[in-house]
Amino acid sequence: MFSTVTIDWYIILSVTLFTIGAMGVLLRRNAIIVFMSVEMMLNSANLLFVAFARQLGDLDGQVLTFFVITVAAAEVAVGLALIVTIFRTKHSISIDEINSLKG
Amino acid sequence: MGSPILFFILAFIAVLSALGMLLSRNAIYSALFLVLNFVTIAILYLVLNAPFIAMVQITVYAGAIMVLFLFVIMLLGAERLGGVASSRDWEWATAGILGGVLLLVFMLELVLKPGGGTTELAATFIDTSPAALGMRLFEAYVFPFELTGVLLLAAMIGVVVLGRTKKRGKDV
Amino acid sequence: MNAFQLAPFLLIFPAIGVLFNGLVGRRFVEADAKSGEKWSGWFASTMAILAFIVAAMLFFSLRSNEFHAEAVKMFDWFNIPSANFYIPWTIQVDTLSVAMMLVVTGVGSLIHIYAIGYMHGDPDFSRFFAYLNLFLFFMLILVSGSTYLMLFVGWEGVGLCSYLLIGFWFDRIDEQGKAMNADAGRKAFIANRVGDLAMILAMILLFWAFKSLEFGQVFGSAIEMFEKGEGVHLFGMEMSIGAVTTAVTALFLMGAAGKSAQIPLYVWLPDAMAGPTPVSALIHAATMVTSGIYLMVRSNVLLEIARESGNLVFGLVSSPDLIALTGALTALVAGLIAFTQFDIKKVLAYSTVSQLGFMVAAAGMGAYVAAMFHLIAHAFFKALLFLSAGSVIHGMEHGHHHVHEHDHGDDLHGVPEGDKHHEVEKFDPQDMRTMGGLRDKMPTTYVVYMIGALALSGIVPLAGFWSKDEILAHGSQNNQVVYWMLVVAAFFTAFYMGRQLKMVFFDKPRHAAAEHASESSPLMTRPLIALATLSVLGGLLNLPFLSESIKEANHGHPGGIWLGLEGWLEHSVQAFHLSEEGLIHLPHTPVVLSLPVAGASTVLAVLALALAFFVVYGKRPKTADERDPLQSTPIWWFSILPFEWFYMHTFVPGFKWLARWSADTIDWAFWHDFVHNNLIRDVFRGFANFASDVLDANGVDGLVNGSGRFTRYVGSIIRKTQSGYARNYALGVFLGTVILLAYFIFSY
Repeated sequence: MFSTVTIDWYIILSVTLFTIGAMGVLLRRNAIIVFMSVEMMLNSANLLFVAFARQLGDLDGQVLTFFVITVAAAEVAVGLALIVTIFRTKHSISIDEINSLKG
Repeated sequence: MGSPILFFILAFIAVLSALGMLLSRNAIYSALFLVLNFVTIAILYLVLNAPFIAMVQITVYAGAIMVLFLFVIMLLGAERLGGVASSRDWEWATAGILGGVLLLVFMLELVLKPGGGTTELAATFIDTSPAALGMRLFEAYVFPFELTGVLLLAAMIGVVVLGRTKKRGKDV
Repeated sequence: MNAFQLAPFLLIFPAIGVLFNGLVGRRFVEADAKSGEKWSGWFASTMAILAFIVAAMLFFSLRSNEFHAEAVKMFDWFNIPSANFYIPWTIQVDTLSVAMMLVVTGVGSLIHIYAIGYMHGDPDFSRFFAYLNLFLFFMLILVSGSTYLMLFVGWEGVGLCSYLLIGFWFDRIDEQGKAMNADAGRKAFIANRVGDLAMILAMILLFWAFKSLEFGQVFGSAIEMFEKGEGVHLFGMEMSIGAVTTAVTALFLMGAAGKSAQIPLYVWLPDAMAGPTPVSALIHAATMVTSGIYLMVRSNVLLEIARESGNLVFGLVSSPDLIALTGALTALVAGLIAFTQFDIKKVLAYSTVSQLGFMVAAAGMGAYVAAMFHLIAHAFFKALLFLSAGSVIHGMEHGHHHVHEHDHGDDLHGVPEGDKHHEVEKFDPQDMRTMGGLRDKMPTTYVVYMIGALALSGIVPLAGFWSKDEILAHGSQNNQVVYWMLVVAAFFTAFYMGRQLKMVFFDKPRHAAAEHASESSPLMTRPLIALATLSVLGGLLNLPFLSESIKEANHGHPGGIWLGLEGWLEHSVQAFHLSEEGLIHLPHTPVVLSLPVAGASTVLAVLALALAFFVVYGKRPKTADERDPLQSTPIWWFSILPFEWFYMHTFVPGFKWLARWSADTIDWAFWHDFVHNNLIRDVFRGFANFASDVLDANGVDGLVNGSGRFTRYVGSIIRKTQSGYARNYALGVFLGTVILLAYFIFSY
């Protein structure tokens, strides 16, 4: 059964990492940790892209991964700047204290 | 797709480090666990015949981005803000159930699938050297590639604008 | 290039101008007089210029389309299938209408620009330009319509604009306490009603006889029925086509007599000079008053049939001959009356009546091209003369103002306000007796006025010479009576223009205001220079030898770069005569330069100018109070011709009685008391009570308040879901993701 590693195993690993990341986003209080969780979710998707690229013998999956990493870098830069700004005004990065949108 | 033993060891480390990131009380530890996770995945990339992506993963992700995270954590002194959000019970329950369902759905699907686990690999072994990837990037994807340049510029300007504090009252 | 589909913009641009100036122009002017006037005036002028550009594009389209007429349908207007009555709103683009469009929008644009300078400082600046654009709109409907009904819409519309613009300063009261301007407007309106009645009767007749009002269909079936000798049943009797066309064209003459100021309805035009001078130039000289001539030229088929059929009006003359005689008589009489006028604008007004007589006479003689040629040339030089006269009046007012301030500058405090006002009222800046010597004060105006006057007098080689001599040449070939009347009228023309030139620009100033008169602003003089250029070069439009030689060079076809008006109009104006084989279309009688005729008229014009200049007005009058040399001769009797009396004692009492009867009986007794009070009011009151007490209080209020309450209730529930915490929203996203993924996976 375990003689070769099939694509299914990569899918399961990817989904597991994705779920752990999602839990972090949903349940952690520290905004920076929330961000890290988002990065992990992106990574799990990247992993799957590369795995499928190998599976299908196609380079496009890797190209897409490259783009995802670029966008993630931009996102992290802006996101962290936002967190710094929020910290300056609220003196906290707890997302429990950011609820200005409350209806 | 690599030997099963190597895969399972790496997958085990990846999941463990991910859980470590999720559960650490100190944000610094979380960041370090995440670095470990990224490095593990980079090795998986190597196994998957993607050397260029693996190197980018280590330099950009495990290197640049995570250093940025650590900087911000230390700058704000935010490592102490550990623990979980003061969520209500129903939030915990819903999130947990959803995560479980997600995992379960995929497991079931892959297990129950007829002929599960026997998917064939592509017959041809393609050239995935950085040179080949670069050619593909600058031929078929040159326009999106230029767009990412614009995106990075926009992000840079955005960060500069967000970072200004002292003159805000006068300028804007 | 083919730009026929642009034709609707010919109407749309002026309509936009009306909306702008009518709705918001006033705010601009009130907010800031200086820039507001610029906005208001230049917006209107731009719309006129844009319309001119569209007309020019239609011109080139027609050329590249080999002069084939094109009808551009805008929408269905009337469509009553059971009565077989279908009239679309269609723009007729043919050589005749495009020629008119170019004149209307071209001269109109220049006058718009001039008016920005002329109306400067008027509190109703934007209203003026709204009217002016409205006039353009209706005039373009008149000339571009493809049916008599559309022509009539424009016909009535320009009449309305004429009324509004003559009475533009309706609140001005003269010494006798009469609202002269408002009266003049009403006079124009009433006199035109008589002509309009004839127009309506003519249209009814046309529709009865030919079951259509569309130009092409009417003319086509008229020719066909006339060739076959068929008749029509009208009023229970058989009428020949000749009789119908005779009646219709006689009615057209009456309509044109109203709009184009022919005997006996011309009385309104001199009074119309009460309006602002740009209006006199645009409406009462260049465009609107020529619509009667346009009607005749457009209906040339009907005129030709009436001529060929031999039917006579009252058993005396054929209707085209009646038209020609009326025109010639008008030209003669109006020219005589012009001798006796002292108001600079009234001289020009009678001159306009006289020149319109020339055109009507030409149309009656079948010289349609000559009529159009004179129409266009006249539009140039008469607009020029009026605008120059406006410039003179402006200069005189300025001079008077200057004198007044100078005299009373020191003891201004001692002069009571009322006296000062009275002093201003007494001076008439339009009275030629107070002018004189303006040649040195207003050099530009003097030069362009001179050009206009010489063009009008028919001096070689200005525009008026060619156009007038073409009419005279036709007269000498076709109708001796008309010819001699017109020759005398041309002599009169030169005489009164000589008199006017002498009185206004030469001698010594006869009034302090004339001594201090000054030149007008460039905004006013530049359009004058443009019009003067056109007046000089206008003859090129239809030079007799030029278009002939071009025709020869092109093997009998007009064309090349320059085709005269002749070659241009022959695509929409036809001439024919009846023979045994039926109607034979004639090639147009070529433009002939009859040397004896042209030479005689030129000699006469020079003689008349010299007579006025050196003999009659050589020495006198020297002061403003001196009598006119002609005042002791029988010529002066013409100033009291009975047409005014005729108007005052027939149309005015008739209209007053009709108005009184309508007001007392129809409006008050029947409409107001019975219909309004008893029927409408009571029924409405019942409905209103029901609506307010029952429907509104219970139904509508309940619905409105209920819906408000319901919305608030739903909102109070939904707002609880909005916690403001980012992770709650993320949870929602996650929920959706899981559901979607599950769906896709299991649906495979």
